[in-house]
Amino acid sequence: MAQRITIDPITRIEGHLRIDVEVENNAVSNAWASCTMWRGIEKILRGRDPRDAWLFTQRFCGVCTTVHAMASVRSVEDALQLEVPLNAQYIRNLILIAHALHDHIVHFYQLSALDWVDVLQIPKADPAATSKLAESLSPWTRNSRNEFKAAQDRVNAVASSGQLGIFMNGYWGHPAMRLSPDVNLLAFSHYVQALEYQRKALQVVGILGSKTPHIQNLTVGGVANAIDLDSANALNMDRLEMVRVLLEEVVQFVNQVYIVDVCAIAAMYPDWFKIGSGVRNYLAVPDLPLDSKASAYDLPGGYIMNGNIAGVHSFKTASDKDFRSAVSEDVAHAYYQGGKPLHPWVGETEPEFTGWNGDQKYSWVKAPRFNGAPMQVGPLAQVLVGYAQGHPLTRKYTDLAIAKIEAVAGIRVTPDMLHSTLGRHAARAIRAGMLAELAQKHLQLLSDNIAKGDYAVYNQPVFPGHEVEGVGTHEAPRGTLSHWVVIKDAKIKNYQAVVPSTWNASPRDGAGAHGPYEASLLHTPLARPEEPLEVLRTVHSFDPCMACACHTFDPSGRQIAKVKVL
Amino acid sequence: MKNVLIGGIGNVLLADDGIGPYVARLLAARYTFPDGVEIIDLGTPALDLIDQLSGRDAVILIDSVDAGAEPGTVLTYQKVDIMRHHPAVRMDPHSPALVDALLSAELFGVAPDDVLLVGVNPGSLEPGCNLSKPVQASLDLVASSVLVELDRLGVEYHPQENPAAVEIWWTSDSKVNYEASVTSAGR
Repeated sequence: MAQRITIDPITRIEGHLRIDVEVENNAVSNAWASCTMWRGIEKILRGRDPRDAWLFTQRFCGVCTTVHAMASVRSVEDALQLEVPLNAQYIRNLILIAHALHDHIVHFYQLSALDWVDVLQIPKADPAATSKLAESLSPWTRNSRNEFKAAQDRVNAVASSGQLGIFMNGYWGHPAMRLSPDVNLLAFSHYVQALEYQRKALQVVGILGSKTPHIQNLTVGGVANAIDLDSANALNMDRLEMVRVLLEEVVQFVNQVYIVDVCAIAAMYPDWFKIGSGVRNYLAVPDLPLDSKASAYDLPGGYIMNGNIAGVHSFKTASDKDFRSAVSEDVAHAYYQGGKPLHPWVGETEPEFTGWNGDQKYSWVKAPRFNGAPMQVGPLAQVLVGYAQGHPLTRKYTDLAIAKIEAVAGIRVTPDMLHSTLGRHAARAIRAGMLAELAQKHLQLLSDNIAKGDYAVYNQPVFPGHEVEGVGTHEAPRGTLSHWVVIKDAKIKNYQAVVPSTWNASPRDGAGAHGPYEASLLHTPLARPEEPLEVLRTVHSFDPCMACACHTFDPSGRQIAKVKVL
Repeated sequence: MKNVLIGGIGNVLLADDGIGPYVARLLAARYTFPDGVEIIDLGTPALDLIDQLSGRDAVILIDSVDAGAEPGTVLTYQKVDIMRHHPAVRMDPHSPALVDALLSAELFGVAPDDVLLVGVNPGSLEPGCNLSKPVQASLDLVASSVLVELDRLGVEYHPQENPAAVEIWWTSDSKVNYEASVTSAGR
């Protein structure tokens, strides 16, 4: 007989997510992903000045901060066919890259690692042996015996106090935990170091964006940064040098710690390359524009259907018609009124809250579909698309990661193994490696352009009399993000955001097709159903960000979530 | 020179939960403190409280604490008392997180040696900008509790000759100013 397990809230994510699974014969036989919170920003934007939209939409989320600001200004620029000066493109790119580096590092260490790392095994570890192992895997200079001993002492203090604090309610000792005490210690020590390096990445965002969370330097048509090599208060060589030094340190951490750890830990859980696949349709948009017209990019985009990697379709630009015309949102199983699926430019946001009903409506997230199909978005999508296209940087870091995993695991890693929970983690680390290299490239591009005497950062937007529509896209840390705006008489007539976690957390559509979270959970084996660690592993691998996925607010009362402390 | 934080925690729109911000501002208006002492209206921090705790020698926090006692009862908690509590189940990253913040700071090696929480049992936590009468009556004791801790830490402070009015930004109702209730003029 099927057993129903509800995990609500899912922790170590952004936002409010509830997962229900049915378990039969110790494996997941059915699954539902439900977003349990809802705000209202799409409706708030109606009637407002399009130049202000980015300030509102950035508040979708403070974890994926910057991304919604970027997609918004791009949507208006697209509607106006407005070019963005080179300096503004480079400054925006640097902000996006730095934010993504922070985001990916935090996601692996602070949000995901404790699914795989058993902290309470650490008192049994041998710091000297841990150091020897760590130094055999990486030239990182903070892998000494003393460093690991200090980390172990901290855990010992927590474990012996009886007050586990932030580690309480973890699934310590779960049979699915398989790392040796030494590897657990190695990972935990790097978890603590990761906090320093993600902060450095954010400092770059703060220098260029004026603050973070929620940068202040964007504007439709460019950025508001003043560039002046002779002014102490503008973006000058000193600031660029600060950015350079910070980026260098982050790049080193990504290459010598983050990528190494992901590959080593993945290698120790090889069966997880066969778990957590689900939807094998992938979508990614090109990003990091290299010119003012956004006709060339440093990150590739396209889509893959049914796992046919070789048959990848490429998007030449972010405004590719194949992308714009293909997106629709289905509300059959979502808490909204509506009939047939709607394209975002004619999208509606009228709530209809019914309470959770697995056969009917059960989520505040709409079901986005691409030519009618559910799509998985995120670093895995981007890496597969780029690899299939022969994108050199994607190939470089993918081959590097695969080689590292093979070296530790002693098994061959084939591309189809990336359709999995570990495939997502590996792809995120691969993407971080690519971005680290691109950070230094784009900083050089910016410096060189300024050195030529070009200080331009802004083109003034001009709004026409007739109605215009635009879409702004961004390949965000969690995947393909799109903001769709319709502007009439210089005011927003309609605004719909289809965000990465909308694609991934999608409920079933009218045809009953599962969304990616739901599909990925099917057939997952559970060693102890009452401690569904395996479900968390897969859900976390997507890097959920639910506040972005549903951004409309019900003032008539929040559903009180059932709490199962994890 | 000691690095000390005096932090008022609370939501000024929920009646007695405003006690922390109010007392922080009251002390800032009434006394001068030496270099190294910072008085901050912390509002409603979540885990970002770690940043405020990090690197301090001592921290004194004022907050409403529902210990089931009569409204206005002042209870003080040392660091070890606070850390003995399990972190409350938090529904999202924005929920209050004093215990989590302190435990995390301790784990990462940046926690202050001394932490004192001055907790005031609330009479009301309903929407509103006023402190209830019993909590107003406790203001003297709350302020003294902070000052006594400063004495214990060896931090000197002096009453201001002509104290300015307490800065209250959350309401323009001039009745929300309980300075008359506070008579402790310091040591």
